[in-house]
Amino acid sequence: MSVGRAATRVDTPAKATGRARFISDVVVPGMVHAKLWRSPVPHARILRVDPARAARAEGVLAVLTAADLPVKDLYYGPAFKDQPMLADGVIRYAGEPVVAVVAETAAQAEAALALVAVEWEELPTVATLDAALAPGAPVLHARLVPAAHFRDLTALRPIPSTNVCHHWSYARGDVDRGFAEADLVVEQTFTFPMVHHYSLEPHCAIARVDGHGITVWASTQHPFPVRKELAEIFGLPLARVQVIVPYLGGAYGNKSYTKIEPLTIALALRVKRPVRLALTVEEAFKTVRRAAVRYRLKTGVRRDGTLVARDCEIHYQLGAYADVGPRVVQKSAYTAAGPYRIPHLRINAYGVYTNTVVSVAFRGYGVPQLAWAYESQMDVIAERLGWDPLALRLLNVLKRGEPLMEGDLPIDCDFAEGLGKAAAQIGWNEPTAAPRRGKGIACTIKAPLAPSVSSAMVRMHADGSATLLTGTVECGQGARTALSQIVAEELALPLDRVRVARSEVGMSPYDQATSASRSTTLMGLAVLRAARDVRDQLLTIGARLLESERPALTLRDERIVSPRGERTYGEAVAAHFGTGGELIGRGTYRGERGHAPLGGEAPFWEVGMAAAEVEVDGDTGRVRILRYVSVADIGRAINPRECEAQEEGAAMMGIGHTLFEQMIYDGGQLLNPSLIDYRVPVMSDLPEEYRSILVENGDGPGPYGAKGIGESGLIPTAPAVANAIARAIGVRITDLPMTPERVWRASDRARRRAAPAEGPST
Amino acid sequence: MLRPFELCEPASVAEASELLLRHGEAARIYAGGTELILAMKEGLIHYDYLVNVKTVPGLAGVRLDADGSLRIGAATPHRVLERDPSVSERFPAIARMEADVANVRVREVGTLGGNLCFAEPHADPGALLQVFDATVRLERKGGARTIPLERLFVGPFETCLEGDELLTEIVVPPLAPRSAAVYLKFGFLERPSVGVGVAVTLADGHVADARIAVGSVGPVPRRMRDAEARLQDRPVADSEAALAEAGRIAARASDAITDLHGSAEYKEHLVGVLLRRAFQAALAAVAGSERR
Repeated sequence: MSVGRAATRVDTPAKATGRARFISDVVVPGMVHAKLWRSPVPHARILRVDPARAARAEGVLAVLTAADLPVKDLYYGPAFKDQPMLADGVIRYAGEPVVAVVAETAAQAEAALALVAVEWEELPTVATLDAALAPGAPVLHARLVPAAHFRDLTALRPIPSTNVCHHWSYARGDVDRGFAEADLVVEQTFTFPMVHHYSLEPHCAIARVDGHGITVWASTQHPFPVRKELAEIFGLPLARVQVIVPYLGGAYGNKSYTKIEPLTIALALRVKRPVRLALTVEEAFKTVRRAAVRYRLKTGVRRDGTLVARDCEIHYQLGAYADVGPRVVQKSAYTAAGPYRIPHLRINAYGVYTNTVVSVAFRGYGVPQLAWAYESQMDVIAERLGWDPLALRLLNVLKRGEPLMEGDLPIDCDFAEGLGKAAAQIGWNEPTAAPRRGKGIACTIKAPLAPSVSSAMVRMHADGSATLLTGTVECGQGARTALSQIVAEELALPLDRVRVARSEVGMSPYDQATSASRSTTLMGLAVLRAARDVRDQLLTIGARLLESERPALTLRDERIVSPRGERTYGEAVAAHFGTGGELIGRGTYRGERGHAPLGGEAPFWEVGMAAAEVEVDGDTGRVRILRYVSVADIGRAINPRECEAQEEGAAMMGIGHTLFEQMIYDGGQLLNPSLIDYRVPVMSDLPEEYRSILVENGDGPGPYGAKGIGESGLIPTAPAVANAIARAIGVRITDLPMTPERVWRASDRARRRAAPAEGPST
Repeated sequence: MLRPFELCEPASVAEASELLLRHGEAARIYAGGTELILAMKEGLIHYDYLVNVKTVPGLAGVRLDADGSLRIGAATPHRVLERDPSVSERFPAIARMEADVANVRVREVGTLGGNLCFAEPHADPGALLQVFDATVRLERKGGARTIPLERLFVGPFETCLEGDELLTEIVVPPLAPRSAAVYLKFGFLERPSVGVGVAVTLADGHVADARIAVGSVGPVPRRMRDAEARLQDRPVADSEAALAEAGRIAARASDAITDLHGSAEYKEHLVGVLLRRAFQAALAAVAGSERR
């Protein structure tokens, strides 16, 4: 048995010994290095670029602007083709690349950057939602060209002559009537800041152009969509574009879709040498972030606790370019009301351009920003009704089989079971052991990527060992291990007889994306089918060799076993081919198009539940997380330890945006693009007690009943902690992160309100 | 990206001083580099020559004088101070403060002298050492002087060191009997946002001496003598009432600014909170040592 076992990761030895190859280990003979001159101003018209001095500097091969790039189309992007490889006459955010310098060494390229002369004329900046939405605000993009990449983005709805690049709306029932019927209406506005992914490895690309076409070594989660976009930009057939992805040093969505690959290739075309472009951590801060969100949420509820109506108005602060933002908008807004039974619902979601760093996919895909609001408000409602927050959720949460959205997959899990486990583990009904402590709970849901496609191949070699070809990218999540376990399980092989080949689009079968918690479940199905294809072939060969009926045969310990004898896989392959040879198994997963409001039918729902106990230092505002429980409903754990690791890592990431992470802007200037001033969670931020619970009911669509995991762990973190803070000190915080100063200010205000006569009036 | 520089490895303080004199503004002392290299990587500053004092014989190490003073070589890493038995026994507040400087990688290579001379306002040692009335020895080729530590700091990233002068030794006198020191800090970014050091000496149920220093909040770590005066020569029993006033005075005097660490108002509030907590912890420490 391989599946269900906490197998050691197949990449652990290579990573622990430093032998694993990441892109920083890749050296292409003859490669030269690029550095980018980035704009110091957030919005400007470029008047003149003088490359002459930089071009004369030692080792410099080329100093290039947008006009110098040999491309069919300067613009790229998965939603709109709105982002130029280098600023094209207009600068739209501080940090945007304007000029590329290519030199023999990275140090020479860096030194020459100081010699690049750029003149510009500043334009009025819209760095906030308010500024971008104000009447008469400068419009960042006059004309938008849809990229036609996603089927569900064929209905992009920009609002003309504004900075809204996509407006997604949904309604059911009669919301106004719902509010009229409600006994209590609660309305609040919640905000979620810009945060940066911070993967240990910033973006990097190495491009080589030769007679065969383009080869790019890329730090990407999406080698196949990147290939498609590169083929379009450079006018090549897909077969002549090779994308090779070594191990990724973390991704979290920041390596989704096309990033620096087209520019690197364009530079290689110009200098006729392989070119390497490696960003620094500071540059990664100026390349990608999560969308900030302002969510005005209004909920009507009856005295008996039932929710009757919700009105959701959500503004996503996107950056200077859309990237995949419009899709983040509609996919997350789709579940904006949470996993609750709400007859009257209205959702209006707007993606808004601003003069800030581009917001891209980020673990959770917009859902953490919205769950922050709806799960905080559930506790506000409970408090106003005098209800227990857990009881209010249990009353309203959807049951298995109930629809979340008409035409889409009905709820495929048991929320009550998961919430019950979280509550039991945190000791929900036990009093806290000390004052200024409180417990909070949260319950969230996320829609997966749908529909989607994955293919895989399993090659069984002449000695019975197997190689798995899959386009899934190993970015630290353990995909290679889980997928290997599926092959080992199906073919009765020990795990060390299965190898996963490097993902490279010229060899691996098609895979749409390593994202949206889909690989183990959906690529897993393709892998399962490919392995079963090999299994079928083995059984057919075995039936002939052992003169048995197929139903009498089984695979056991690398052998085909029948009541009449057995053959090793090697013997079977040799007997089949006469000499050498290998069996090739193929498998594909193809998602259903469906009739749900967003088109694709969800193959599963990703649900995350959490409970937290905190202690608040009232004098300083410091929040200490004493206990944290994460519950994931995952159908079946292929590798329980790796599932727990996903949950732990996600919860820690969630603690980051909950308590301290935020990109701080002053006007259009990012003030903290470094780890000194931008605080990511560290070991000392671990909750004192942490527990992750996996709910395994075998009710997922994936192999052996698996569902996706990986994002669910960070979605409920912020509201669970905020609810715990509220119950500890009676203060509701509606803005993230809940820094000590914010908590102190909120509790100080509450103290003053509660006891206006006390204390000095100063 | 770190631009190239030449690493000079002098064999003596005099030779290091000569190198500083020769290269002037183009040279800087390297004493661990945990701040310096970071700033150079960011491109904020550049030096063509780094003069490594970590390999100068005799510049690192800790010893106790006959009078109980702690003599710390300027190139002594934080990690050594954190683990040195004489420091943790005689100056437990210093050992504890050192154990909580940045992270273990910084403490392993970063040195006390480097920390003080870089004069990054958001740092711990400069505040705590002032409540011990620590002094620093500054040497150059052919001369030396000893000054109180508080006079070393001139402004953010600025000390009173002359161009060819080196900090060679930090001398920490022992506190009087029936005394204790405590350092408390607060912050959530990589560096501390507020640090408060307190030393108290008790006599006959009175606070015979109270010393307070505040760091990280303003441009330089500094003693808060007006605040100290509020606590001195009072019965211990009355000190609670005086603490709030002392906290307000220290907060006002700390020159707090609003930055990424928080608003000036919040930092001033924290000065008061940490002062009260540190003072109470120091009182408890004296009482505790007397019970033993």
